[in-house]
Amino acid sequence: MTESDDSFADVKAQQPVLPRPFLGRLLHPLMENRRTLAGVLSWIGLGIVVAFIVIAVLAPILAPYPVEGPSAIVAPKLQPPSLTHLMGTDESGQDVFSRVLWGAQTSLEVMAIGVVLALAIGFPVGLYSGYSGGAVDRIILLIMDSIYAFPGLLLALLVAVMLGKGVFNIGIAITVIYIPLYYRVTRNQTLSIREETYVEAARGLGARPWTIMWSYIAYNVLVTIPVIFALSAADAILTAAGLSFLGLGIQWPTPDWGLDLSIANTFGDIGNGVWWTSFFPGLMIILLTVGLSFLGEGLNDLVNPLLKKERA
Amino acid sequence: MPRRGSLVAYGVTRLVMAFPMLLILLTVVFVVLRIIPGDPIYALYGGRAKPSVVMAQRHKLGLDQPLYLQFANYIAQVFTGNFGTSLGPIFGGQNVMDVIMQRLPATVELAVGSMLVATIIGISVGILSGINRDRIVDVVGRLYGTIIFVIPIFWLGLMLQFVFAVDLKWFPVNSRFDVSIPPPATITGLYTIDSLLKGRLDAFAVAVRHLFLPCLTLGLVLSGFFTKTVRANLLRTAGADYVEAARARGIRRRAIVMRYAFKNALIPVITVLGLEFAILFAGAVLTETTFNWNGMGLLLVNSIEVQDYPLIQGTIIVYSFIIVIISLMVDFLNGLIDPRVRY
Repeated sequence: MTESDDSFADVKAQQPVLPRPFLGRLLHPLMENRRTLAGVLSWIGLGIVVAFIVIAVLAPILAPYPVEGPSAIVAPKLQPPSLTHLMGTDESGQDVFSRVLWGAQTSLEVMAIGVVLALAIGFPVGLYSGYSGGAVDRIILLIMDSIYAFPGLLLALLVAVMLGKGVFNIGIAITVIYIPLYYRVTRNQTLSIREETYVEAARGLGARPWTIMWSYIAYNVLVTIPVIFALSAADAILTAAGLSFLGLGIQWPTPDWGLDLSIANTFGDIGNGVWWTSFFPGLMIILLTVGLSFLGEGLNDLVNPLLKKERA
Repeated sequence: MPRRGSLVAYGVTRLVMAFPMLLILLTVVFVVLRIIPGDPIYALYGGRAKPSVVMAQRHKLGLDQPLYLQFANYIAQVFTGNFGTSLGPIFGGQNVMDVIMQRLPATVELAVGSMLVATIIGISVGILSGINRDRIVDVVGRLYGTIIFVIPIFWLGLMLQFVFAVDLKWFPVNSRFDVSIPPPATITGLYTIDSLLKGRLDAFAVAVRHLFLPCLTLGLVLSGFFTKTVRANLLRTAGADYVEAARARGIRRRAIVMRYAFKNALIPVITVLGLEFAILFAGAVLTETTFNWNGMGLLLVNSIEVQDYPLIQGTIIVYSFIIVIISLMVDFLNGLIDPRVRY
């Protein structure tokens, strides 16, 4: 929204707000605020995220060299970046550029498993806890808060040690960190929506708790989730990369940014002046997480009504 | 009984409430290590060991007992500080607690140094951002806060190593001390403090040179969080009535920012400090691995590599204790500064 539009704010506020479909609730503020800083950042973030999804899907076509199997060793090892190998080659003589492109697939897969599972568990538990209240609520809250206070990476590391390596196992390991997060957000939102007039009306009409929770409250809680979803996705990618860096995440030769950094570190590449084996995988992690953060924080500024009020 | 709202009453309440938190954390660790599919010995040997060896190890660790007995033993172990003996090739036969205590000072040194870097940079950028709201300085400051926070610690560490240690040779690449000269005699285990206590300024300089890059790495990443919190709270307090009043009395802008707005903006920063420490310790594990820094984090990673189960469990438990104690201290500090939270 530009400055001149602000004079109509009062008039706009009086208009009835019509319920919008889920995507509309997200896209509308994005479209309307595309000239503000938060809007621009959101769009940049969205662009980066979409670009990475495209890279992940098209990796088999985009990558100039194979990354698994005996044919993956395509050049002498540790060649500096050149026109034939844009990002150089690594310890085993693989093309870093190809591995970096394929790495997008691994990263997005792990992140998706972790965050979606966390939502699938944290959301219903939060809804139940917030709606029922009382002792049950307080006990679940205490447990979730205790887990939340513990360093996420250490918790995920512990689970990863027990489950072993692999994309799916690491996805589960990082789920543990984000369940308390989704629980917290859902519960707090449920607590405030529970007191809305329309929920009271439903209760007055004799709707059962299950119906109230899922038909009246769930949707209105869910619309606040995308912000948290984007931010936790960024964190999930960092954590997964951290696990791989510590040697607990993805098994070689699966291409993975964290794993490639770990190998570079183990061989002491940096000490030998070889920077390209760690620089490029790390750069990809940063680009993707920055994209997700821009999207999450931008959306937060646009959608979060509390911040809006402060702004005015 | 102390008066409601007094600092003592608040402290006691927090202390009592810390126990369930600790117990829950310990239970979570227990659940993860003992109940998740399979058992530690199977996970550690990966099915390669003979059944008789596995049985013997299971018996030695008490894993063949019923779960409730295991849990009781585990809790007893934790509160008597006896975590058993190490099974790994490096520390085999040594008391787990002793091994951890040898490594703890290195982590403390790294943590304190990083926190120092994070507070100085984070709060400065946050203030600059806050007082220049929506101007170019603010935009740069906010971008800094967002981007620095999502840079992988190990990547930043490697890049700083490349620029400042390998290329410019200003600092050593990794490890805690030079091999060529002896480290200071152990008093606290903190190389910086020990060398000062012994009056060895040369050793102090070496220790600080080794500390610089790891602390800068971890501190920079942590500073993002401070930047955001300080900025947001400065904006909030800048609009407060007492700031308006100060402005109306004609007090200079700089004085208003420092004495009125900033002081009150710091209170919520202390509240999030607990969360910051959780990130700090997770980050320390990565930093220690990157810089080959001989602390608890590297100990944990190494004991995972050699599958030293008692040492893994012991390290994680010590981390849990540290986290609970720090969150207690942060709460207490909060109550000291802001009387409102005591109720």
